[in-house]
Amino acid sequence: MAYGPSQNRTGSQHEHREPNLIPIMNLFIVIIPMLMTIMVSVHLAMIAITLPAPSTDASNGGEEEEQMEESPKMITLALFPDRFEIMVEGDKGVTEILQLSPGRHDFVTLDKNMAELKIAHEKQGTIEVLPDPTVRFDTLLRSIDICKSNDFPNIKYLTALTKYYRAK
Amino acid sequence: MKRASVRVDRSAGSSGFTKRSRGMKTRDLNITSLIDILTILLVFMIKNISMDASQKNAPEGMLLPTTITRNELIESGKAVFVKIYTDKILYGAENIPVGSLQDFISQQDTRQSLLRLLQMEARSIMAMNSQPCLLIQADKDIPCRYITEFIKFSAQASFANIYFSTIHSENKEEVLGI
Repeated sequence: MAYGPSQNRTGSQHEHREPNLIPIMNLFIVIIPMLMTIMVSVHLAMIAITLPAPSTDASNGGEEEEQMEESPKMITLALFPDRFEIMVEGDKGVTEILQLSPGRHDFVTLDKNMAELKIAHEKQGTIEVLPDPTVRFDTLLRSIDICKSNDFPNIKYLTALTKYYRAK
Repeated sequence: MKRASVRVDRSAGSSGFTKRSRGMKTRDLNITSLIDILTILLVFMIKNISMDASQKNAPEGMLLPTTITRNELIESGKAVFVKIYTDKILYGAENIPVGSLQDFISQQDTRQSLLRLLQMEARSIMAMNSQPCLLIQADKDIPCRYITEFIKFSAQASFANIYFSTIHSENKEEVLGI
């Protein structure tokens, strides 16, 4: 004669068994602080600049002069404490962008001007940047960034103001 | 041997202890929702994690400018770090103190010692068939006078590739100051 299942057995089948989460919790407690310490919250970037090449002798023959004529016009961006000045090689005028308020440069207008310059001088990919000694490093890098974001990838850092004033 | 015992009267009114029946289970704290949150957090962190040490080591106590563009170090380039604070200059990964900005501009000894360090570093990098690159990490409030001087100075030590360290941002409005 067969007997039915015992009461204990029936009970254990009906009982709702929860998984043991303690090992998972232990793992999380170790992993999450570890990841938080490793995690990069601030992403650093690098901005490359080039130094002006030493000027070559102008009397090297007619071929180089012809090449110079075809090459795009040089654009110079001068940074002053109260304004930006953009000068295009061969152009008489200088575009001045005055500061919005003391110590607050007008980067929006600079951005617009750079976009227009890119349209006008499509082949040009280099901008000469000439900062005044008193200009903040932040202003310099923002200006370089605006030039680069407007498809002028090469930034030539000019170290002498005399050349600029002579040209002006 | 006498045993110390404490008798507890469990037969007191409703405010007292209730006698737990033998088969009654202890109530566990439901941590399922906590596990859910932790799982999401874990996945998010694993996705965003970067093991690149160069991306992490922002100099302490220095406010770097923010830019949206970023350049990569040239191929076969090896970077030498220079940290320019408002009050001091630190050289290399070991943060060797060089002096103050004023010392760098005015004192010949400071310039000479820094030039020697840079030249030595440049020579050792070139000996490994790599190109020396200078990574300038400067505080955003520093006047460009010092930066220009430093660039002129590093050119003397055969560092033709110069990089500025910045904080990367995807938001152009932040750079434009809107």
